[in-house]
Amino acid sequence: MKLSVKDYPTLSRVIIESSLPISFDIEKSSSLLMVNISTDASFRIQRGAFESRIIKSFGWSKGKDFYILAIRTKVRNFSYDYFTLSDPPKLVIDFSQIDEEKSETPDSLKQKEASRGKVPQPSTASSFLQGMKTIVIDPGHGGLEPGAKGRFGTLEKNVVLEIGLKLRAVIERNFPSRVVLTRDKDLNVSLENRAALANNNKADFFISIHANSSFRKDARGSETYFLSRDATDEEARKLAFMENNPAEFGEGITGESEDEIQMILWDMAQSAYLKQSSLLAESIQKELNLLLRTTNRGVKQAPFTVLAGVACPAVLVEVAFISNPREERSLTREGFQINVAQAIYRGLVGYIELYSQK
Amino acid sequence: MGVKRVALLAVLLTILAILVIIFFRSGALEKIKLPAEVPPPVLEPSPSGPVQTRKIVLFFLSEGDTLLHPEEREITASSSIVRQAKQAVEELIKGSNKGYISPFPPETKLRELFLAGDGVAYVDFSEEIVEKHLSGSSAEISTIFSVVNSLAYNFETIKKVFILIEGQERETLGGHINLNRPFLPLYDLIAN
Repeated sequence: MKLSVKDYPTLSRVIIESSLPISFDIEKSSSLLMVNISTDASFRIQRGAFESRIIKSFGWSKGKDFYILAIRTKVRNFSYDYFTLSDPPKLVIDFSQIDEEKSETPDSLKQKEASRGKVPQPSTASSFLQGMKTIVIDPGHGGLEPGAKGRFGTLEKNVVLEIGLKLRAVIERNFPSRVVLTRDKDLNVSLENRAALANNNKADFFISIHANSSFRKDARGSETYFLSRDATDEEARKLAFMENNPAEFGEGITGESEDEIQMILWDMAQSAYLKQSSLLAESIQKELNLLLRTTNRGVKQAPFTVLAGVACPAVLVEVAFISNPREERSLTREGFQINVAQAIYRGLVGYIELYSQK
Repeated sequence: MGVKRVALLAVLLTILAILVIIFFRSGALEKIKLPAEVPPPVLEPSPSGPVQTRKIVLFFLSEGDTLLHPEEREITASSSIVRQAKQAVEELIKGSNKGYISPFPPETKLRELFLAGDGVAYVDFSEEIVEKHLSGSSAEISTIFSVVNSLAYNFETIKKVFILIEGQERETLGGHINLNRPFLPLYDLIAN
């Protein structure tokens, strides 16, 4: 696969040339444009040196049956357009800078926003309602994977689905937004697909709902988690690698650095949102404590697989301990489930009102 | 001197000669066997001497709080860190002697433990650690950091711990905490 970059007076053009026809989708996140290429084939990436006003560097990551090409831009605000050519198959992406002063969004971008379901709000709406939010609710486990089990036989997958559905209902009733569930029935969904669903839906918030379990019989209370990064040598090294060696991406990378690159992009998805995620977690935890008078186990951090790949503020709520017989019974009660859904809802809206106004 | 006495003397001399021959031949055999049978004297304590032990600290849960609590244990001070680390994990799975709670399904077995050059210990557990796990975030965190902290705390050469199941990488123990990368110890989880 060959990458080339050319600057024109009004735009920068990236051409991805492949020996085989490719299917792809494109996703924009802040100063990155991610091109997700589905293929079983193995590609070798070739790229010459380039100079561009807009394009900064390329990152390259290989998954099981896909590649992700991350195109980093030098500008904060850009729009893009793309078209394909055949013989040889080519994907052409044009980048143009959006003037920060201009309040008008180019029509092409407006159309893209609209097709994502982000319909602009009427100007009479209160300030925090402007720009409809997409909220992804992720009821944990499901299908063949029941999650934790209570002593009376309650399954985590069932109670968290109930709470997820009730949370959707309370959000839709009270808050103009688009709510997407990673599952709305008893279904197997891989952790990777849950994150991918959030990213593909351009989620503004991701809330995973779980019921906790402990080896300690007395463990009780709610907890809200956000992702912990090993802010360690390894992680720092990867980020530094990405920052300092943009030219190393693509051509002539050794086996070792290829492995290194593989993990970078997914790792970075949530990294950019940790601060927001921690504030969202605190806001939700505060409401859970108030409403349920459950023991405050506080906001915590842990390396959750489902959160790592999500490119927006993301939290995981452990509603209560299904391993504690008293809390197991609460979890099965509809009134408790509604209270939890309302607490999470209030935490979310509290966060949006405080931090997320545009 | 009678004929009888001469005969007796001859018999005795013959017996002596035979004994001498046997003595030297068996001596030769001993010498050949020697290097193979005697263990290297420096590395191991003599079989008759006392077994050398060392104290290590293992981390368990307690009913009273969410932290990991230390418990001292004696293990054989073998010269191999890997052998010592294996003992530590096996003791951890056996559970506490002081009434602390073990964050492992009791059926769990340690299959293998090896140490890579970069200070990462690979700890390979049997399927039961997944199959019989309680599968909650708290339970997973307890299991993982009981192992990680116990190994990193006692063995200076172990900097990180990678958990394997049946010799393979696994995404999680029960759907929560990512096992696809090595863990650093989290000493914040330890009481006091």
